[in-house]
Amino acid sequence: MKILNCPLNGPRNILEFSYGGEFHPMPDPSRCGSKEWAEYIYFAENQAGLVTEWWYHLASSYWFLAQRNTITDEIVRTFEVNEVFSERVEFSTQPEGDQNNG
Amino acid sequence: MEIVTPLQCDRRSQLYRWHQHTGASFEALAGSVVVTAYADAEFETRQARVLALADLSTLPRTGFKGIGTLDWLNDAGLQLPTSPNLARRQADGSLLARLSENELLVLDDLGASTALPTRLEAQWCLDSTTGVYFVPRYDSHCWFALTGEHAAATLAKVCGVDLRSHKFAEYSICQTSLAKVNAIILCINLAVTPCFFIFSDVSSTQYLWEAIMDAMAEFNGCCVGLEALRALQAG
Repeated sequence: MKILNCPLNGPRNILEFSYGGEFHPMPDPSRCGSKEWAEYIYFAENQAGLVTEWWYHLASSYWFLAQRNTITDEIVRTFEVNEVFSERVEFSTQPEGDQNNG
Repeated sequence: MEIVTPLQCDRRSQLYRWHQHTGASFEALAGSVVVTAYADAEFETRQARVLALADLSTLPRTGFKGIGTLDWLNDAGLQLPTSPNLARRQADGSLLARLSENELLVLDDLGASTALPTRLEAQWCLDSTTGVYFVPRYDSHCWFALTGEHAAATLAKVCGVDLRSHKFAEYSICQTSLAKVNAIILCINLAVTPCFFIFSDVSSTQYLWEAIMDAMAEFNGCCVGLEALRALQAG
């Protein structure tokens, strides 16, 4: 059985988790263009080596980050998102013209 | 005690037909009905000390989450659990269960006498500046109680986390997979009798009930009504 250490719940069977994709810094959605936003949403680096990834603990609806070596599949470290995000990211609900069409 | 049937109430446990077929007697409680007993209440109290499962799904509960939740509940005069995955009993007998840094589950006592969930829901209003968000828990989750000396051994058959008393102290919370469905497990003893409160998605109610009943068969466990739990809690 493969074990993943959840920062909130402790070590658990990896079947309790869902992979959430690579972690990338998010561009400012109100300032970046469509190309940059689409790359952020859809593109993955698929890098060989140490990467940071989103993981989700299903039983507690808890998102966190993990550093994993994609060559050895070793999980080096898991940590809470507040190590990366210090404040809430607000998204405007109002359409802002065509500024995202670039 | 008023004797009622589930069909007299709008809010019913997902298991009410099963309870009826098993010969349960019901009582009115907090606008709904709960199973008082299936058989002789004294027998069920003795059984609950060994191993028993009770359906508490119609007892009041609610939840709140958000960055302002701890301050809001503190201002309401409640005693907060000191860290995530811990619960704390309030002076009136209700429970606060802290599921993460900023999310709490609020449980009424076994007599539904504190009205704390209802009171907090009435006090809450949607205001994004306070950072407190309502998380309905009444209709979203089923609520079971697994009691008795063999309760931890029963859960060991369907759960990967060690829930024995020396590893999982009273008021501890575990959010994990139970019989392949997601569940919140809370250790709240009834006086000296071990007891686990189990919460799971309401769509899994019947499956999880039958899975735990099946796991209990090895230890001759059975279902009991609320009367047995109240007797245990009274010592």
